[in-house]
Amino acid sequence: MILASALSYTYPVGIRPALRDITLSVGKGELILVTGPTAAGKTTLCYALSGILQHEFGGTCSGYLALNGRPVNDYTGICELNQLVSMVFDDADSQLIFTSVEEELASGLETRIDSKQEIEDRVSEVMELCGITHLRERPPYTLSGGQKQRVAIAAALAMDNEIIILDEPTSELDVVATTRIIKILQDLKTRGKTIIIVDHSLEGYRNVADRVIIMEEGHISREGTFDEIFPGQQGSVKALYTDPDLKPYTHKDRPVVVSIDSLIKRYGTIEALSGVSLKLYEGEFIAILGENGSGKTTLVKHLNGLLRPDGGSVHVRALDAATAPVIDLVRQTGLVFQNPDTMLFADSVRDEIMFGLENIGSDSPERVISDVLTMVGLSGSESTYPRHLSRGERQRLAVACILAMKPGLIILDEPTTGLDGKESDKMMELMLTLQKRGHTIIMVTHNMRIAEEYADRIIAMENGRVTGDYHNMRGRAS
Amino acid sequence: MSEILQYIPGNSPLHCLNPVTKLLLVILIVGLCVMSSQVPFLCFLIGVLVTGALFSGLIKEIIDQVPFLILLSFFLVILTSLTVQEGDLLLTILPCSEYGVQGYGITLGGLLFGVILSLRFVVMITAFQLFVVTTKPSDLVTGLLTFRLPVDYVLMLLIALRFIPSLQLEARRIHEAQLCRGYNPGTGISGKIKSMRPIMIPLVANSLAKTQVLGLTLDMRGYRARKTLPLHKLIFGFGDVISAMLILVIFSAFAYIHFFIV
Repeated sequence: MILASALSYTYPVGIRPALRDITLSVGKGELILVTGPTAAGKTTLCYALSGILQHEFGGTCSGYLALNGRPVNDYTGICELNQLVSMVFDDADSQLIFTSVEEELASGLETRIDSKQEIEDRVSEVMELCGITHLRERPPYTLSGGQKQRVAIAAALAMDNEIIILDEPTSELDVVATTRIIKILQDLKTRGKTIIIVDHSLEGYRNVADRVIIMEEGHISREGTFDEIFPGQQGSVKALYTDPDLKPYTHKDRPVVVSIDSLIKRYGTIEALSGVSLKLYEGEFIAILGENGSGKTTLVKHLNGLLRPDGGSVHVRALDAATAPVIDLVRQTGLVFQNPDTMLFADSVRDEIMFGLENIGSDSPERVISDVLTMVGLSGSESTYPRHLSRGERQRLAVACILAMKPGLIILDEPTTGLDGKESDKMMELMLTLQKRGHTIIMVTHNMRIAEEYADRIIAMENGRVTGDYHNMRGRAS
Repeated sequence: MSEILQYIPGNSPLHCLNPVTKLLLVILIVGLCVMSSQVPFLCFLIGVLVTGALFSGLIKEIIDQVPFLILLSFFLVILTSLTVQEGDLLLTILPCSEYGVQGYGITLGGLLFGVILSLRFVVMITAFQLFVVTTKPSDLVTGLLTFRLPVDYVLMLLIALRFIPSLQLEARRIHEAQLCRGYNPGTGISGKIKSMRPIMIPLVANSLAKTQVLGLTLDMRGYRARKTLPLHKLIFGFGDVISAMLILVIFSAFAYIHFFIV
């Protein structure tokens, strides 16, 4: 179905090739898992195999690529290739264009099926398959990250193409949703579809992927079956509640940092938090786990005044988070957002950190800047333009910006999204260091592996309630 | 969050109209309001639009726009009153030293021109708004393609409309992220302008980064290849007959007011 031989590619503005000497043959009905560190060329490979590179991007391309037995350059363009290849891009938000989920799914079909009834049937079928029937009328921009990803996948599957390429489609999905997507891909595989999937969380693909390709610096460094390449277990896919390492939480004899009592938050008629009560103690490394839409992010936004309670109370040390000004709360609580690009605006790494320091008024900013940069492993890049850093480095810079303001409590919202295993671990090691220095760390995540490995306390949330509070015996922090 | 210019799902008469009919109506209304400078006719057009909104249960959307429209009209009237010097002088600002010559001030002609201009804007904005909120984006594309507009321009409009709520959401997210760093929106005009930087730079940079994937998605769904029109879309219903009659009524009103009354 796909045949690539000595395929190399350099972006129009690139100096080094993004792909080097890719030789790959994928048969009909095969499912190939592609993985590797960030910036290894995985996304570029997806673009190449879907013909986008050759027909849309320009740049220098050498070698040979054929799709369905026909050289990719012989196709007239994407308008012809879209009949053969479906692609799910890694940014779910920007692939949702229309005003309802239903229209989103139908949009790809309207260009190829004439019968309205047929389109409706197909849309309903795919929605059922991906578990998004309840979202039918919702405008895509109101959905959560995980829901958006499912809609993006559904929109690609609706086209019913022979080749399906997915670029990190599950990065924001929890275990249940990921398992469901993998099950769907497995079904499609048995129906003869050819599937290429890029992913960082691997264990779910054992016994599903026919082959694993590991990419490094633009070329394929290893290729083999899943068991050959990963004989040991790759992270956890089991449900939290059956884990023997978790013991019910008993409170410690330490000062209370955050005290939340019967917290209620509503968005319109939807109750996002219904009576959450928690006490968080100094020096803890807490992971808040929960499925998409369980209220994790809503909860932590109450700790620095971005959201105010509709009922109940939140206290951060002596401050009442319902009434205290945000500027006072941010000195106590530092919140690092999921996407570092939402905050980076300055011309240099130094100025970026300086922004926060100027806002709160710091005595010796230069020393603080060099201290935090050393801590996050970015010393020496003071004058670099922040957006030229890699995703992992940008994430660490975002932490540095918050860290410089010296908050006692550090909150990370999905700190490992878009990071590979190595970068994630680096981030977590940094958090362990901070914990040792006396900071309290709260990490909102759906990544069971990092929660189990690093946190000493795990709080589980479901539908706006706390459903479990555990002491993690295995965590390195405990 | 209030959503600007976004499709509102529904089954009202306006929703059920064929997009081509709706587009024709909008073109007609906008065209005539530009050609006409008669206050009664412009008021009649506003009446038609308000009636349409009432029938479709969208009157709230129109009412929400009223403060903005009043502000716009206010500025237009001030601007034209001060720049257009025609007709009788109503209020003298700078008298002329020569006897019998009108000085500089607010004139009847200027005031009237301001009112006409404001009414035109009210008609155009309301008509466009009603069209966009009652037409699914995919139907919008179909409608515009019927008029042989180049597909790239049609998709550009689609993407522009699609970006409005995204930008609103993204701006809020960026604002929150900067608040976490003690960001303090400045006071005074220069402070306000300076404090735009931490919000605007990430907003523009992130939006530009999104456009590539957005464009590729449209391509992968075969939208740019859509030079021809799916035939099943061009079914005209009872509502379209009513609209045709409405077009006749509007034309008659236009002709009557312009050729018989004036």
